[in-house]
Amino acid sequence: MLARDYRDILGGGLLLAAGIWAAWYSATHYELGSFQRMGPGMFPMLLGIVLAVLGALMAGPAFFRPGPKLQIKLFVPALILLAVLSFALLIGPFGLVPAIIAVVVISAFAEDKFRPVPILLLCVVLCVIAWLIFRVGLGLSLAMFTWPF
Amino acid sequence: MDILSNIALGLSVALSGANIFYCFVGVIIGTVIGVIPGVGAISAIALLLPVTFYLDPTTALIMLGGIWYGATYGGAIAAILLNIPGTPANAVTCMDGYPLARQGRGGVALLLAALASFAGGTIGIIILMFFSPLLATYALSFGAAEYFALMLMGLVAASTVSDASAIKGLAMVALGILFGCVGADIYTGVPRFNFGTLELTDAVSLVALAMGIFGVSEIITTVRNTHASQIDRESVTFKAMKPTATELRQAGGSALRGSAIGSFFGALPGAGPSIAAFISYAFEKRISKRSKLFGKGAVEGVAAPESANNAADQTAFIPTLSLGIPGSPTMALMLGALMIHGIAPGPGLVNDQPSLFWGLIMSFWIGNLMLVILNVPMIGLWVRLLTIPYYLLYPAVLVFICIGTYSVHLSAFEVGLVVFFGALGYLMRVLDWPAAPLLLGFVLGPMMEEHFRRAMLFSRGDVLIFFERPISAFVMAVTLLLLVWGIASAMRNRRTVLQQ
Repeated sequence: MLARDYRDILGGGLLLAAGIWAAWYSATHYELGSFQRMGPGMFPMLLGIVLAVLGALMAGPAFFRPGPKLQIKLFVPALILLAVLSFALLIGPFGLVPAIIAVVVISAFAEDKFRPVPILLLCVVLCVIAWLIFRVGLGLSLAMFTWPF
Repeated sequence: MDILSNIALGLSVALSGANIFYCFVGVIIGTVIGVIPGVGAISAIALLLPVTFYLDPTTALIMLGGIWYGATYGGAIAAILLNIPGTPANAVTCMDGYPLARQGRGGVALLLAALASFAGGTIGIIILMFFSPLLATYALSFGAAEYFALMLMGLVAASTVSDASAIKGLAMVALGILFGCVGADIYTGVPRFNFGTLELTDAVSLVALAMGIFGVSEIITTVRNTHASQIDRESVTFKAMKPTATELRQAGGSALRGSAIGSFFGALPGAGPSIAAFISYAFEKRISKRSKLFGKGAVEGVAAPESANNAADQTAFIPTLSLGIPGSPTMALMLGALMIHGIAPGPGLVNDQPSLFWGLIMSFWIGNLMLVILNVPMIGLWVRLLTIPYYLLYPAVLVFICIGTYSVHLSAFEVGLVVFFGALGYLMRVLDWPAAPLLLGFVLGPMMEEHFRRAMLFSRGDVLIFFERPISAFVMAVTLLLLVWGIASAMRNRRTVLQQ
């Protein structure tokens, strides 16, 4: 336990900032209009104010009560998100098969121990399944392999 | 009679070859993801949403519906054999199901769970059949003010009823609506919050948001946190499934009471199957003469929550189909599937699309029948699924998340959005923010904005319109009560926590 609830202080602070930013952005970039004829900016601006108030309500009382320790893993989320990002970057220029292999191999490193043989087999099986479902079954125009150069 | 011709119409739709096939596919996928802990129905439905673009809307909903209630059936298997709830709605089933399995009576528990689920599902469907058309007829007279009030009530209920912290739930609703604001403004067409990108001028992809916040963040938290468990294979053979007459009688009564409780709580926005299962278990324990046995392997403790969660699965469709207001994130995805096919959800749906509405309801019944038949003899197969190691499972799920998102618009940008929402989803778990209200807010947000602006146009900018029309005033009063009650109970909870 910590002397203050830093989890809710941080969370509430983030929401407060996001709300203020959203209200400011919609008020300055889009037309507000009147209550009777609302412009595109009015609803998001009101919403930003609501969000900021809720964030303040979340953070305020948290200063005066003990709270749990924040437990953040960095390695696992970074690898899993990197795996998804690699798919987004590879699918266009290189095609489906390299993208699948990248996702499987990168995400597999998130476990304690890397198991090369089962992961290799998984790559093969998933490529075949993806080809069967998306090319043969649904007839999507997804390229299995391409070469950008 | 009118209802008989509707049932006949529904059966003729549900019994067509393609619909039976996709209903079967749906319940099988539902059972599989229900059995495997760490993959929820919501991720599976988000994954299959792109696939349903290629199907007829009725068929698409039949399949997605099958996943939804099939997962609750499958989840009971993991709860009983491993003491791990396959879906959150099965959590209570662990309390008596697992002790029964430890006593070598896992087979009996599995059979009773399947039968109770079927009873609950059937009763829930009957209630859905009678109440949805009634509610829809009534709702045809609703105007913009009533709709806005109802949606607000649904969102407030979803964020205050289920979770301890009402403020966090409400903040997530607001954040979800804000994500819903991204894209072209409904009245003027001005693109909002697109930051000069072409990809965001349309709207944030529902599939990318759901996959990131539910699918990816679930994987991040589960990796390295799974433990292998032992299963007693002897107790799940076909022969070991025969319950005694006393057990059948005890479980039968509980299943009926559980179905009634489940039907009620399923239809309430924000409550849903998990709460229904929990309340029915508490109720059985209160009224039972042998309440000391609860938690040590009482058959009532399996039958009551399993009937309640399945009844709630069915009645959750009442507000979704008759008002167009989803009570849970999964129902929100169902509405998303409808809208993708160009069908506007709302009270008109029951009358304008009778073959969709009645076909879907009849398919629920056929699906429930399939599940009982499947679950009993194929139990050995489901048990084997429990032994798939997670280190093979999660890269595969991740691949399907990527391909599923990409295939919607063949857009790599939307896969990038999954990265963004996956990071947000993990941050939300670290900060203990609930994810369900965010998705509900995202789906309902654009509709709420439209109704709000229309109501303001009618009333010439007078906010009091929401309190002047009787129905809307009543709904607003209920919303306010929920808000006060939610915040008060959150403060009370916090105080008791501090005292401990």
